[in-house]
Amino acid sequence: MIEWIDIIWSDLASQFFNPKKRLFLGYLLSASVIATAWLCLIKRHSIGSAISTFFDRKIWLSRSSRQDLASFLINRVIFFWLRPVLVTQLAIATLIFELLHQQTMIPLGLFEGAGYWTAALGFTLFFFLFDDFTRFVVHFALHRIPALWDFHKFHHSAETLTPLTVTRTHPVEGLIFTARSALVQGVTIAGFVFLFGNQVDLLTIFGVNIFVVTFHGLGSNLRHSHIAIRYPQAVERLLMSPAQHQLHHSQSEKHYDRNFGVALSVWDRMFGSFHHSVSETLSFGIGKETARFTGSIWSMYWLPVSSLARRITRALFANTRQVASAIPRFRARNY
Amino acid sequence: MSTVASIALVSVASPAMAGDVYGPYPITLKGYSGDKTNSVSYSGQVGRQLLHNSLKKAIGSGASLDVTMSYFNGADGELPLLDPKSSDSFKVDVTDINTVSKTNLSGKAYKGSLPGWPGNMTGKEALESMITMAAATEKGYDAEHGYDYVQLVSKFTMGGVFYHQACDNYLDEKMNADNKPNDKPYKDGAYYTGKEHSWDEAFGYWGAAAHGATLSPKQNYDITKKKNMRDADANGDGLVNLKSEMNYAHAYYAAGFDKGGNTNYYNTITKAFIDGRQIITDAKGEKLSDAQRRGVKRHARTICSNWEKVIAEAVFKYAGSVYSNIEAVKATMGGNMWKVNGSAEKTEHQAALRKYAKYWGELAGFSLSLHASGVNLGEIGVKMDRLVGMGPVMPDGTQVNGMSNGTYTVASGKSMDGFAVHMLKLQNLMVEEFGVEARNNDKISGISNLAEVLGSGNSAEND
Repeated sequence: MIEWIDIIWSDLASQFFNPKKRLFLGYLLSASVIATAWLCLIKRHSIGSAISTFFDRKIWLSRSSRQDLASFLINRVIFFWLRPVLVTQLAIATLIFELLHQQTMIPLGLFEGAGYWTAALGFTLFFFLFDDFTRFVVHFALHRIPALWDFHKFHHSAETLTPLTVTRTHPVEGLIFTARSALVQGVTIAGFVFLFGNQVDLLTIFGVNIFVVTFHGLGSNLRHSHIAIRYPQAVERLLMSPAQHQLHHSQSEKHYDRNFGVALSVWDRMFGSFHHSVSETLSFGIGKETARFTGSIWSMYWLPVSSLARRITRALFANTRQVASAIPRFRARNY
Repeated sequence: MSTVASIALVSVASPAMAGDVYGPYPITLKGYSGDKTNSVSYSGQVGRQLLHNSLKKAIGSGASLDVTMSYFNGADGELPLLDPKSSDSFKVDVTDINTVSKTNLSGKAYKGSLPGWPGNMTGKEALESMITMAAATEKGYDAEHGYDYVQLVSKFTMGGVFYHQACDNYLDEKMNADNKPNDKPYKDGAYYTGKEHSWDEAFGYWGAAAHGATLSPKQNYDITKKKNMRDADANGDGLVNLKSEMNYAHAYYAAGFDKGGNTNYYNTITKAFIDGRQIITDAKGEKLSDAQRRGVKRHARTICSNWEKVIAEAVFKYAGSVYSNIEAVKATMGGNMWKVNGSAEKTEHQAALRKYAKYWGELAGFSLSLHASGVNLGEIGVKMDRLVGMGPVMPDGTQVNGMSNGTYTVASGKSMDGFAVHMLKLQNLMVEEFGVEARNNDKISGISNLAEVLGSGNSAEND
């Protein structure tokens, strides 16, 4: 008992002390500095006003933020028990690496002579792009497939955004994210080691992916905040600004299903879901459903599951026409 | 410089300490009245080390079956030492093995079954079969089946005789209370006790130079390579005394792995031998107390567990070599294997196959050795044997899968690519089950290192 409490506690601590994690204190600090600088330099706040705006009690201590904290803690415990049974990226990479030996079209070590820097830069860049693209795809699916949207409501039911909102995630979503991450890592590692050999490396700063450090160091945590930092339009066409992601959380109908991207916004442009940031004040949540969905922390966890159970029941017992209607369709969400 | 000053300088400059050298140890046998002053004796084991070295050389030079068998079974009269031979830069003190000890390898070979080798043989029978088969080939190389008998015989002799005798006999049952007790001579007329000599014999099979623990891994490695006469000649008599100043067999491999800096097998094992021997010496010819026996057995466990890891490291290393050579062989296969002998392409293909067979021979010899410690490897052993196979997969898709009426049988339709995957799995097996750390020729760490640096994908974070 004491032992697993200890493990959960150290897991919790690692969320804030491990630079591989988004909530690493260094990233939170850099986000605070960027937010304060934005408010002072662009929004013409005094330093005192900027700090009081950033640390607005109505945001940080809101009911929604307290739900963020509760789900963060509950999820850490749930994933502590789930982790041993999850397939790791190492297992996937090993399996794919072995399978690659069975094919004859691409020879082993095709680019072995490419040299360390080419291999390392290629791996780091490819991983960043592939990872970001698949995050976009999964996020797209979470919004456009009704059964998945039921679970993703958990995240979108937040009425105020703080960096901790990133962890406001239903465990089923968490499993999907974990599977995506393991698959992306496994495929990339196996492919690159097969083609480039053991010289493949990840370019890092302080032992962390150089792109991850850059993304988080430049204020990724402000995506979930009330500080609407906007980039020039030319930049927003390439990189997702915090304000663009906040627009993604907007409950205004005209903003539905926009800006699924994480670091890059090019995927949204390619798939027609791109939207520049806007200057208007946004309100967050899932419309009329918000009150019922966030009635209690229990309802947040339970409602998506009961909704899925209803879908399955309908699919099992309805006539053919009803079955067809129960099959997830690609359609815009409907509040 | 005065004599006193010279001695002081030598003492400061040399890392050697008395406690790091195996012997000499005093006579402790009660009632001994002879003129011996050193109870250490393992000339029989050194004789077998020299038989092994020479047997390997004999097979590799295409010697007749009579000659190769004389190194396996021993022979009367002079038995020329074929390796290590004296040279201008490395002078040794032996030319006739029988002057060291008139002994043999066959009498000490593993008699347990060896399911990983064709023919359902015991370890001893497998060695006899390999030596016999080797005599029918050109210098020990069977190109049809991909067998390099030089490596197969050598590596399995090291495991099937040396490792087996040390860990399944001398450091095992002979360390029990009633077996070879310390208050009696090892045998009638001996000047050493039962426990002293049992321990010394195991040390002789380990194959380290008596002063090896005072040297670096590279120095020890270079001694076996005959590149370092100065460090080998501990007593400064101008000759390398093959009884105590040479590194053999697994001790040499341990030094090779330790050179990489990740392991310390050579010193760990050699010092455990020294510490265990000191406990026996301190018993002063009395029976070992329970505490002393526990201490000795603890050192024995250290020795055998690390010795097993040395062999597992070799399996790991040569699995990596075989993996690389499969690619090398494939690279020369574009129709070259069907070209006439003597053409450049055919020669290149044959050379690649020769190396492939050599590395597989080393791999198989070492992996078979892991069965010889007296510890049943169970499922791990079965897995290992299946991954290694009874022969390498050849370019035409054949692989030896047994023996019938004295000839090998082969399976067809095997894939070299699939065999390459076996090598990766074998490396994983050595990491997971034996905890190898040196990991030479690592073909799997690229994946695990990258997985580690990318970090766990387990996440409950939204975007």
